[in-house]
Amino acid sequence: MASDLLQIGASGARAARAALDVTAQNISNASTEGYVRRSIRLAEVAMSGGYGRLGDISLSGVRIDGVTRNADLFRQSEVRRTGSDSARASAELQGLENTEAAIEQANIFPSITAFETALQRLSADPVDPSLRAAVLEDARTMARTFNIGAQALASVGDGLHFEAADGVEQVNLLAQELGRVNLRLARAVDATSDQTQLLDQRDMLLQRLAGQVDVSTTIAADNTVQVRIGGSGGPVLVSGGTVGSFASATAANGTLSFTVDGSPVTLNAGSLAGKAQALVTLDDTRTRLDAVADALIATVNAVQTAGAALDGSAGQPLFSGSGAAGITLALTSGSQIATAPAGSGVGSRDPTNLDALKAALTGNDISGQMDGLLFSVSSGVASRRTTAKAIDSIAASARIALEQQSGVDLDQEAVDLVRFQQAFQASGKVMQVASTLFDTLLAIR
Amino acid sequence: MTSVSTSAFYERANRDIGALRSRAEDLQAAVGRGQRLARASDDPVAAARLRRLTRTDQFVAIDTTNAARAMSDLQLTDAALGSFAGYVTRIKELATQAANGTLTASQRAGIGAEVQQLQGELVRLANSRDSAGHALFGGETAGAAYTLDAAGNAIYAGTTSAGDLPLGDGQSVTRGLTGPEFLNFAGTDLFAVTKALADALTGASADPAQAARDALSPLDTGLEAITTAQTVVGTRMNWIDLNLERATRLSEMRSDEEAEVAGTDIAATVTELQEVMTVLEASQASFARLASLSLFDMIR
Repeated sequence: MASDLLQIGASGARAARAALDVTAQNISNASTEGYVRRSIRLAEVAMSGGYGRLGDISLSGVRIDGVTRNADLFRQSEVRRTGSDSARASAELQGLENTEAAIEQANIFPSITAFETALQRLSADPVDPSLRAAVLEDARTMARTFNIGAQALASVGDGLHFEAADGVEQVNLLAQELGRVNLRLARAVDATSDQTQLLDQRDMLLQRLAGQVDVSTTIAADNTVQVRIGGSGGPVLVSGGTVGSFASATAANGTLSFTVDGSPVTLNAGSLAGKAQALVTLDDTRTRLDAVADALIATVNAVQTAGAALDGSAGQPLFSGSGAAGITLALTSGSQIATAPAGSGVGSRDPTNLDALKAALTGNDISGQMDGLLFSVSSGVASRRTTAKAIDSIAASARIALEQQSGVDLDQEAVDLVRFQQAFQASGKVMQVASTLFDTLLAIR
Repeated sequence: MTSVSTSAFYERANRDIGALRSRAEDLQAAVGRGQRLARASDDPVAAARLRRLTRTDQFVAIDTTNAARAMSDLQLTDAALGSFAGYVTRIKELATQAANGTLTASQRAGIGAEVQQLQGELVRLANSRDSAGHALFGGETAGAAYTLDAAGNAIYAGTTSAGDLPLGDGQSVTRGLTGPEFLNFAGTDLFAVTKALADALTGASADPAQAARDALSPLDTGLEAITTAQTVVGTRMNWIDLNLERATRLSEMRSDEEAEVAGTDIAATVTELQEVMTVLEASQASFARLASLSLFDMIR
């Protein structure tokens, strides 16, 4: 069988057209998120000679073998893993920074100092009504700063819970989307532009999912993906078209736990894990703040009830309630502050009980406890900031490495454009030659 | 073949320029604030030290006002002691006059009346008030330091001690003197001695000249006790001055430490800012040049 020059030229022109299409697609998607550069794979069409026709030339041009996606599975999984880590670190850092701001901007430590200095000032003249009023007001301010701190911590917790609920919803949406993509992938024909587009979608969904939870993926021969969360031993979230249901539960102390179809899962990465970790720290901070407030209430009230007020009556508790959120000033007048020892007369200037109060505040180290709390929160933030920065730069370099390899290089596309244009023109020339040859044959008389 | 993907190029440029910009902004904020720390987590140790230093500063401020208060009370005490000494000297003069055997009974009675007046002055002086309106020589009592009984004897009604006032760093000063501390001596007190003298001169004694002579030695002892008390008060004022000076020196050291711990080193920060700005400008310029370099412009 002889070759058909016109047919060969036409197939070349077709291949060049397809290659130009792919190049144009690459150019227009140069900055599309998750787009992996495609290239066209061509294959020669030729027949081996049959019996008795071994010397024959039987060439039939070129055919489009498929569309290649220049994706590197290893780099993609690295991007998912490091991105997941980085999302966790930054979510935890953000939660902790909010906790730090809540407890620091409540100005609890300065207000404790102000209360203690007011007591010191009162010792200059324990019966001075204005100094007593100042002590009472400073005590009120101190109680309120504790309330403000507790409220601010509670609202940080609310914010984190809200974001976590949104994250859980996102995970379920992404999982369902992945299930649909899996079903379509199972039906897609190999190496078609349809399949490459589905693969792009699959990888992008996986990357988004990895931002929320840590995923472990297994890719089957038909390119469908099985997703486990919480590490490779974790429960299956997506397998083929079957999608599990991801849920979170809030404990009484505000910490989060997660389940897939009812079975518990521990998240190690992803922003949901970061939020859960931030909530644990938040709960710890809240407990410690309550402990400081309780110690303050116990210390002040014990000394206060052991003394006598300005009118000689037995001292009444200065604070009521418990915990940072509950602490309230119980006294109404500065004259009720018990500066004198029990049994003193009216208007006693004996500062024994006032000295005992100052000594008890110093001895129980209320300001030191608060200082310790502030220090541990802020040093926690500082160390996590360092970690988050390191993890973020690792994630960024993994992302750049992937883009380097799978992203579109406009310069290369420009070159391809010229190359395939020339290929198209050359194929056109082939058809012209074929036509001329045919004309030559027809012209024989 | 390593290809330089367009999106990777933009991403890298974005990261690098973004990092430089945020560094420059941090430095600018540090200069503007005058403080290196925007929040405690920027340097937890420095923040904790700063909290401690600020706390100490606040306590020292209170201690300083307390010391000033003690100082003014001690000055009042000093002035009152001066008056005491004047009165006692005058009573001594009168006693010396009365001891003269040539005086008539009515002349002695006249001297006795003056001594009686002076004794009343002494009691009033002992009941003077301090800057806060409390009894100056009554220790920590709520009322007056001395009360007069039916017979006209001055009875001490105050507490045994004047109480201490903290001056900071564990130091304290006794804020005043109680009446008995300088008015009581050798088993008696100044009021009893002067009252006995006045009574003797106005007719209670058979030998008023001898009584006047007898009064001279306890009066001498009383004057001595008062001048000794003046020395004590002077020493306490010195002690307060010493503590205030020390507080000032320590607060200077603390401000130095605060500046060192959390302050911005303007020269270093501005230099670093300049450096960052230079690098930022250079990378922006090179980015603009590279980004405008497209093969599409070249192919016609």
